[in-house]
Amino acid sequence: MINELKQLEINALAELQTAETEEHFSNIRTKYLGRKGLLTGLLRNISQVPDVEKPLLGKLSNELKNLLNAKIEEALQQQAIRNKEDVLLKEKIDVTLPGNAIKCGRIHPVIQIRREICSIFVSFGFSVVEGPEIELDYYNFEALNIPHDHPARDMQDTFYISDNVVLRTHTSPVQIRIMEKVRPPLRILSPGKVYRRDSDVSHTPMFHQIEGLLVDKGISFGDLKGILTAFLRKIFGETTTLRFRPSFFPFTEPSAEVDIRCVMCGGKGCRVCKQSGWLEILGSGMVDPAVFQNVNYDSEEYTGFAFGLGLERIAMLKYGISDIRLFFENDIRFLKQF
Amino acid sequence: MLVSLKWLKDYVDIELTPEELAHRLTMSGLEVEDIKTIRPQFSGVVVAKILSVKPHPSADRLSLCVVSDGNQSYPVVCGAKNISMGDIVPLAKVGAVIPGGYTIKSSLLRGEKSDGMLCSEAELEIGDDESGIMHLPADLPLGLPLEKALNIEDTVLDINITPNRSDCLSIIGIAREVAAITGKKIKFPTVKIKESNEDINSLASVKIIDSDFCPRYTARMVKSIKVGSSPVWMKTRLEAVGMRAINNIVDVTNFVMLEMGQPLHAFDFRFLEEEKIIVRKSRENEEFISLDGKSRILPADTLLICDGVKPVAIGGIMGGLNSEVKEDTQVVLLESAYFNPSSIRRSARKLAMPTDAAFRFERGIDPEGVVRALNRAAQLISEISGGTICKNYIDEYPKKIPLTKDIPLRLDRIRQIIGTQIKAKDVTGILRSIGMVLKQKGKGTYLVTPPSCRVDISREIDLIEEVIRLYGYDHVPVTLPVVDVKEMELTPRLDMEERIRQLLTGSGYTEIVNYSFGTPQAADILSLPENDERRKTVMIKNPLGEDLSAMRTTMICGLLETAKKNADNGSFNLKLFEIGRVFINSSKDELPEEKNMVAGLLTGEITDEFWCSGKTVDFYLLKGSLENILFDLKINNCRYISSSIEPFLHPGKSCGIYLNDKKIGFLGEVHPDVLEKIDFKNNLYIFEINLDILERVYQKKKISYREISKFPAVTRDVAFVIPDAMEADQMINIVLDQKEDLLEKVIIFDVYKGKGIAEGKSLGLRFFYRAPDRTLTDLETNAVHDRIVRNTVNLTGAKIRT
Ligand SMILES: [Zn+2]
Repeated sequence: MINELKQLEINALAELQTAETEEHFSNIRTKYLGRKGLLTGLLRNISQVPDVEKPLLGKLSNELKNLLNAKIEEALQQQAIRNKEDVLLKEKIDVTLPGNAIKCGRIHPVIQIRREICSIFVSFGFSVVEGPEIELDYYNFEALNIPHDHPARDMQDTFYISDNVVLRTHTSPVQIRIMEKVRPPLRILSPGKVYRRDSDVSHTPMFHQIEGLLVDKGISFGDLKGILTAFLRKIFGETTTLRFRPSFFPFTEPSAEVDIRCVMCGGKGCRVCKQSGWLEILGSGMVDPAVFQNVNYDSEEYTGFAFGLGLERIAMLKYGISDIRLFFENDIRFLKQF
Repeated sequence: MLVSLKWLKDYVDIELTPEELAHRLTMSGLEVEDIKTIRPQFSGVVVAKILSVKPHPSADRLSLCVVSDGNQSYPVVCGAKNISMGDIVPLAKVGAVIPGGYTIKSSLLRGEKSDGMLCSEAELEIGDDESGIMHLPADLPLGLPLEKALNIEDTVLDINITPNRSDCLSIIGIAREVAAITGKKIKFPTVKIKESNEDINSLASVKIIDSDFCPRYTARMVKSIKVGSSPVWMKTRLEAVGMRAINNIVDVTNFVMLEMGQPLHAFDFRFLEEEKIIVRKSRENEEFISLDGKSRILPADTLLICDGVKPVAIGGIMGGLNSEVKEDTQVVLLESAYFNPSSIRRSARKLAMPTDAAFRFERGIDPEGVVRALNRAAQLISEISGGTICKNYIDEYPKKIPLTKDIPLRLDRIRQIIGTQIKAKDVTGILRSIGMVLKQKGKGTYLVTPPSCRVDISREIDLIEEVIRLYGYDHVPVTLPVVDVKEMELTPRLDMEERIRQLLTGSGYTEIVNYSFGTPQAADILSLPENDERRKTVMIKNPLGEDLSAMRTTMICGLLETAKKNADNGSFNLKLFEIGRVFINSSKDELPEEKNMVAGLLTGEITDEFWCSGKTVDFYLLKGSLENILFDLKINNCRYISSSIEPFLHPGKSCGIYLNDKKIGFLGEVHPDVLEKIDFKNNLYIFEINLDILERVYQKKKISYREISKFPAVTRDVAFVIPDAMEADQMINIVLDQKEDLLEKVIIFDVYKGKGIAEGKSLGLRFFYRAPDRTLTDLETNAVHDRIVRNTVNLTGAKIRT
């Protein structure tokens, strides 16, 4: 009888192994454990077993019953999980199709450069200020030490609205407007559009400039070099090599043009740097005492420096753009690249 | 300015390579923009001597020569007449290449062997003379390559001279600078004049009427000249720096101008009536034909050089055709004058004649160099044209040209500006190297007198610049300023602009930047009425073109144009925005009003890859973007008013945007008429908002947290049937105006027209009721809700849809 019980267990487990569907499992349950099942049938003959064996047999048959029940239950549960997964898998979607949200737009590349430069100077303690784009001759020229009939006016070809009103040719007039209102010390930065009567691959009649001004007691040319070196290394990288060379701007003296080692050829000479190995990046200089006089600053007490740079030029160098006009053609295929 | 290195070396020894020299000049303020090499256009041409000349046996016009290069003799057949035994000439040997790429070969000419070719100036492109074989100086060693013998190879530096450095507009000016930076001595040309007994004062006179414009006028006379071509040394120098050689008289005036920086003019004395020069301003409508052959009506107050009867030159700008030096000129009157810089500049600009002379006069020439240049030119003319110089020169000098003297210079101030403790002897050394005269005034103070050519130096700061420039910017140590700076208020608008930029790009818009000027037709394209402010256009007087002549009064035209250009390029789905200024002409102020605006545009499909939606953009997408901006800026009381119509927008699909009863902008679909005008196929949706008005309302509001109710909301949906003309906004306002405390909010959940609605439209409203301190009972909710619905129905005549 015990042997039969053992055999029954072996058979049942073997059948469970091969069972696949929920139906199979419930058939197996009925076959072995049902009221007319094999185990029940076997136990029906328990009276024929000697009494001493009865407790053991009872225990074994109980264990078998529990074992089978547990096995079937476990298998059924797993089956249920599998079934649910099957249902979900049937809902499979193509995850490689593009997303459905509206795709982001882009900020204009020149404005991106403006933000970057402004944030560097803001971290140096500069405040961002603005001024009019249509400007009086006085602010654009005279107050900046560029009198009428002075050859320095040739440096910038000007758009005129009237004899006395121009499209500003640089953001420098903002310096004057601020200095007229604010006493030193001051650190200001004025970004904005400027206009020059010029149009070719490297000139557009409108472009963007940033002008900076720092005035205080004891400001020296060394400080100018310090601030501008720190700035250019932030923009072009810490290892950027630069040089300061004498130049001329009517509103600064001494004046300096700042060049960086050509980012295209590393200084060997190429088309971009016109074989010189250097790229002109910004103009700068110590504020001319004549300018201070125009705004009633005492040039004996205060000194300062100013600098200005063209944003399109920086963007062209950073992104390898050779035609400045692209910035204003606003071709979406161009703008989306930045 | 172009500078020939060969010419430069006439005045200063240079041991540096051209590249090193260029670098040193650049780093001291004379930026060298380009280095060019001039090479002869021939090779294999040597100095040779004609040993014999005899006629060709079978050709009258040819001769047979035997020519030696010192080593060997060659038979050469030659067609020129100007050769004789013993002449030193250029020989192009067999294998030589001459300009035009011709290679000389051994050949038979009418039966006679020819191993080479004797050359003219023109054939070698050394000069223009094609009349005969070029004759070389007798002392040249035979066999020497011609380019060596004539020293033809040269290097030319293109130097960018800043407007302040008029002293560098000459080869000697550059030489002075080179001498200063290399520590060499400058060699001025020696000027020696051999005068005849005839006194100029007995032959001619000068009278200056306008001494403000012409403070000094000097003149010399050279007689018995022979006009011809200039010697090679002069021509190669002139041509190396881009000046065309003309004749030995004109070339000398150009040569001396380039050498010394003093523009000169030579008159053919025959044509100076009454043998006099009168310097005066032009009268109204005077006409004059200048050397370039152009006739001009001169603006009043142009300085004229006249003879006793008529004008003969525009002072300091260009000579006249009527007194030009001709082939048969025998007597010249040479002019060397000082003209007032700003009057020359005004005239040159008005006349659009930016000549080399005007360029130098308007920047300021060396007042002390006038006579030096006059003598130098007289000497050269007499040397190369065989003329005789009359005794004395005329020097009319009615008005003293002021020179700067004794500028105080403080060592402390230099050190303060530079930011380093430069030594006193370095300062004095640098200043003396560029010809400054220093007097010690006290401890650490000097009185400095600049040389007369440095008209740009009049103040202490000018001297400091010279010191630091030659000291070397590289030697100034880098420092960082320690400054106590008052924080300046950042304008809220810039902050606002950044937020808008962020938000719009996040919702798919790409930023564009258009020119601030465009076509004056913009207002017509937009069909703006006559009294519209946006017709008050600011016009540019000297635009690059008519289509770039009007400052924009709205950014809409730019956006439409950008959309059009992109569509033409195959980009039809566009979301664009621009932040910038528009300009409104002001009748009362000199400067126009500048308004800061943001404008946007939508067209095409919502997304390029529309596999899942395929929906085109519409009014509500654009409005949603705007609402987001206003939400972000915490401006929540804007109204959209459909009765505010822009002529360029669809009257049924557009509205004005109002903030506190002030119009801040508009949005809507572009009017079909405008689409037709710009030839655009798809619908366009646009908006424009004035940021200056927003700025006044915008502030970074203090946010105070309001507690969230822990109790549930109760909702009730009601569909009201209202007339088509009635706007949702009106319904919502009627509901909200009842100010029921328990009504938390009301939203629109459905707008329906069609089946089941006989007339008008159905507006589904969902009401949310909530109390902060308790769960609302049905009874409470119903009481409030019924009241609101009843009032709404009463106020609007709406029907409840069931
Ligand atoms: Zn390069």
